[in-house]
Amino acid sequence: MSRLDAWAKASGEARYVADMVLPGMLHVALVRSAVQHGRVRRVDSEQARAVEGVVGVFTADDVNRNTYGRSVRDIPILAGEKVRFVGERVAVVVAESRRAAEAAAALVEVEYDDLPAVTSAEEAIAQGAPLVHDAPWEYAGAAISQEDGHNLQSRVTEGSLTEVEAALGGAEHVVDRTYSTSSGHQGYLEPQACVASVEDGRVRLWVTNKSPYRLRTQLADCLGLDPASIEIEPVLLGGDFGGKGSPMDAPLCVELSRLVGRPVKLVLRYVEDLTATNPRHPARIHVRVGCDREGRLTGMALRALLNGGAYGGFKPLADVNLHGIEDCAMAYRVPALFVESTIAYTNTVPRGHMRSPGAPQAIFAVESALDELAAEAGLDPVDLRRRNLPRTGEPSSHGTTWLEARGLETLEAAVKHARTEQPEVPPGWRHGEGVAVYVRGLPGPPVTSVRLVPAPEGRVRVEVPIPETGTGSHTMVRNRLAAELGIDPEQVEVVQVSTEELPIDPGVGGSRVTVGMSEALGRAAEAWRRGGGDEPVAVELRPGDSAASAPVVCYCAQVAQVAVDPVTGQVKVLEVLSSVDVGDIINPAAHQMQIDGGAVMGYGFACLEDLFEEDGQFWAANLGEFKIPSTNDLPRLRTVLVEGGQGVTSANVKPVGELANVPTAAAIANAVAAATGCRIRDLPITSEKVFWAIEEESAR
Amino acid sequence: MKLAFELNGAPVETEAEPDALLVDVIRGLGLTGTKEGCGVGVCGLCTVLVDDLPVSSCLYLAACARGSQVWTAEGLAREEPELVQAFVEHEGMQCGICTPGQVMAAAALVRGCPGASEAEIRDHQAGNLCRCTGYQTIVESVRACLASR
Repeated sequence: MSRLDAWAKASGEARYVADMVLPGMLHVALVRSAVQHGRVRRVDSEQARAVEGVVGVFTADDVNRNTYGRSVRDIPILAGEKVRFVGERVAVVVAESRRAAEAAAALVEVEYDDLPAVTSAEEAIAQGAPLVHDAPWEYAGAAISQEDGHNLQSRVTEGSLTEVEAALGGAEHVVDRTYSTSSGHQGYLEPQACVASVEDGRVRLWVTNKSPYRLRTQLADCLGLDPASIEIEPVLLGGDFGGKGSPMDAPLCVELSRLVGRPVKLVLRYVEDLTATNPRHPARIHVRVGCDREGRLTGMALRALLNGGAYGGFKPLADVNLHGIEDCAMAYRVPALFVESTIAYTNTVPRGHMRSPGAPQAIFAVESALDELAAEAGLDPVDLRRRNLPRTGEPSSHGTTWLEARGLETLEAAVKHARTEQPEVPPGWRHGEGVAVYVRGLPGPPVTSVRLVPAPEGRVRVEVPIPETGTGSHTMVRNRLAAELGIDPEQVEVVQVSTEELPIDPGVGGSRVTVGMSEALGRAAEAWRRGGGDEPVAVELRPGDSAASAPVVCYCAQVAQVAVDPVTGQVKVLEVLSSVDVGDIINPAAHQMQIDGGAVMGYGFACLEDLFEEDGQFWAANLGEFKIPSTNDLPRLRTVLVEGGQGVTSANVKPVGELANVPTAAAIANAVAAATGCRIRDLPITSEKVFWAIEEESAR
Repeated sequence: MKLAFELNGAPVETEAEPDALLVDVIRGLGLTGTKEGCGVGVCGLCTVLVDDLPVSSCLYLAACARGSQVWTAEGLAREEPELVQAFVEHEGMQCGICTPGQVMAAAALVRGCPGASEAEIRDHQAGNLCRCTGYQTIVESVRACLASR
């Protein structure tokens, strides 16, 4: 049985936020900063106001001056005295049509007094660098104090560097390398959009946001409103990948609707999505790792420096950091481990979450370094990994003992299947195979709510708090509830309801939806059966209510096969094989697309995607220049499911959404190194970089 | 200016600015199945058929469609439901924002190159980006569209 929204989506019936029309609705266009860092001297909106159809032009003086954010609240609704990046919202036009609003926005003249800017994390944390924020520790939710240094959004450390240095002192082999990754973007294809209506103090919003209950709190905190006066309506999202978790332009649209007394709609142009929302953090990662004579790891120190852009408020965790960096060595036994992750404020676009935040960057570094260590030690890279993957019962490098440690089986399955069927290599090209491993833990204990309601003809309506972002979550809910109740999936109706209807949910993200929903649906089904199915049943999982947070992890090992043209440096990724440690699978088609879509996204990160950042601006500011993979770029994809894993909840599930996109870049870099003898430590791996690396190698 | 063309088989007459884009005119008529993504003609979300050829309606001047036959996903779902059904059966979608455009591109292939090979399918569909699926199910759906004829 196919996914429940398939016909609506394929036939064009499905409505997204940009398709919304409300009676009397006005349109919004933004005026964005043209300078990296400056004082706003004057905003001249006279010409803009004269454009036919313009209802108003507004600046920071007209809207609430409180700042907002997902954790640290440092983002202004409109820039006031100061702009901090090219693309920041400075002024806004509201008009009868989008055309009029955009025409008028182009006529708003803003004069700036330039201030010295910092556009890279390295510059930002250097002594004497210009300050992006004068006192960032004063923002509500700040994760740093004045003593931590300047231009810091966050610094997280784990373990002892002294211990690692001592361990590396006694190591047989040590490598010390620096890796870097470019600025990328989630690349969801639906531009961010918001429709807001404020009427008699009541706020209603349709917004491309995957965490409606959190959004309600964030808006209430920023605008000083009673959360009960805000209703976030159900929406369908056209892709997320981490990019749609923040309030983005919602606080502004609420303010505008209040000011003009009519509903307003803002739909970003995709250039704005690429240059002015919350793309991926570029990273520079230094790894020191050593092993003994037998290839057993003795210690690892990883220090990451990330460009967080002008605001930290797009990151949801209280430490304003990325857990993918912190968990970088979880796959292995590492007796002495030190991790430091520093995120700097710069005068560039603020950075946010992107699918398994921090992990693609960190795992690219760690898994590349392990291959370099294997080469140094004269070991086969697969062997080195075999010797260091923890077995069931052993504590991981982060101290937890998992119910099962299936890294070795997952790796063996990857290698075995990859080698049974080798891809064809073009004549004259060099072939290389590369391996990389990633492990991910479960999200925390499920927190969510659902309601089952009897529907006509013996059907069951299940009300959920989460929007369908595309992953197939609503179909998963349908299938899971049907299985729990022993009824035909056709008998289940899944509806996302507004924030008025259910009490709690943290939103889509962190690979938590299938786990959280399975737990909630299991309990709801039990109550439903007890009650005979005649009465509505509501389930609410508050923090601490559930045991579905057992120490369960999911491994993913990938093998990449590449062919490299030694004359031009061109890299063809022939195949990516993903071996995935799974529990039971609720919806095989959707599960497979998480793996395939992940591997293709990992391939894009490895080989294609770069916003070409220079002086704080992106030169690849459209989807023609910022290249995400198309059908013409695809490697062959193969998957091996390592079945029989112990998952959580009565559905025995493990998360899958943020696995296969992570190890791909290192697997490809390792394959390129195997093919050419040249190590590319800076993503993406372009023909130019490989060409020059080969030239340099042959000149030696 | 006045603009007359056929939309999904029915004549329409509407007022449009001389520089209006076809995507805006179609969506302005309430047919929101045609989505806008990149706005620069590279992502394929806004693909419609103009006289059986696929065009990026975000770059196509509405005036150029004067007197033409324009088809969108809504019309195709009515007249050639087997093509839409192929995407449903093969799950050629996740978030769905690119799907109407994928379907329209597939419809163009069915018209222009019904015997397309696997490589030709991939080449043809390369102008329709998808960030979710990894494309395997989309290619299968397009293959099924061709097989439905």
